[in-house]
Amino acid sequence: MLNKLIHDFALWLDGMTWSTALHESFYMYNWVESTHVVALMLSLGMLFLIDLRILGYALPNVPATDVAKKLQTPMFIGFAVMIITGVLLFYAIPVRTSQSLWFRFKLVLLFAAAINALLFHRHLRDTPALAIPEANSPGRLKIGAALSIAFWAFIVICGRLIAYDWYDCSYSQSEGIRILAGCVDGQTQF
Amino acid sequence: MSIALFQNWPRTITTIGLVALALTFALSGLRLSAWDALLPLFEWMEGNWFGYAGKTWGAVFAVVEACHLLGLALLGGAVFACDGKLLGVLFTGYRVDLIVRETHRIFVLGLVILLATGVFMACGVAMKIYYLPVFWYKMLALAAGILFTFGVKLPLLRTGEDALKPWLRRMLALTSLTIWLSVAATGRWIGFSG
Repeated sequence: MLNKLIHDFALWLDGMTWSTALHESFYMYNWVESTHVVALMLSLGMLFLIDLRILGYALPNVPATDVAKKLQTPMFIGFAVMIITGVLLFYAIPVRTSQSLWFRFKLVLLFAAAINALLFHRHLRDTPALAIPEANSPGRLKIGAALSIAFWAFIVICGRLIAYDWYDCSYSQSEGIRILAGCVDGQTQF
Repeated sequence: MSIALFQNWPRTITTIGLVALALTFALSGLRLSAWDALLPLFEWMEGNWFGYAGKTWGAVFAVVEACHLLGLALLGGAVFACDGKLLGVLFTGYRVDLIVRETHRIFVLGLVILLATGVFMACGVAMKIYYLPVFWYKMLALAAGILFTFGVKLPLLRTGEDALKPWLRRMLALTSLTIWLSVAATGRWIGFSG
């Protein structure tokens, strides 16, 4: 039922002139994708520096709270650009992307990473001792930082795997894959 | 500016010499001869174990590609943080040399990951990229980035915060950002070409 709704929504997007135009425009589509990668370089770069600082591997002479505070703005700018370009990439190829197993894993991981980030920043705010450069981060913050790196590594892997068609609904798939990918019985558009 | 440049004059002159050599190479027939001479290397790359693995196991290639992106993110984080400080928009209140030194370790880690995964990926599609102009643009941008970072930016920054005028620090940051963003963008365009 939900998969049918998602498929109908994707078909509706696919029917829009702009969706087709974006998909078929060699330069526009590729510029959007290149911007997505450059935004990833900015946002994940900042995020990794914050996480590595908490883990004690980067900027050890700058207090962890300062690293987080100073890198937060460019990180959010990068995430905003990444989300906008990501939505545009989905909009350009809505049917195939919405039925991509990797895209669905990516969304779940993004949700998990967002929850982890919320908890992480709450713990960071509640640990004033980290305003001192030499201060060691408490264990739960380190776990949060390690989880953040792991979530994002898997998000990037899933994002890269979307390009591969191994589990596409247009091929014969096992029932489990068909359910996870959201393939709809009798669908004619992929 | 003159203090900063001439305190490191051997390295500065070497870098200027290398840039002049690179330009001579690029603008003369030597470039095409070198390109022809590199063909056996690319044939060997595609035929070796890495090339075989990259072509045979799509999943391995895809995961290495993702690791390449993660390396790019690490390098990008270090570049943005360091250059943001040089531009005066990040880490205000901290000394330039401290931020440069501490982000450089992350930069080197990112660069090592980029190079290691990049070599593997290049082996998997060696003959395709050999004929792609955008691949050579990326190599040019990468070489320029490495040369600029290790030959110009770091030596100048090591002369001390007071020896560098603010406009020179900003120029260093803008040049560095331009080069590394070009590396990222040209890298993505390899996937769209050919």
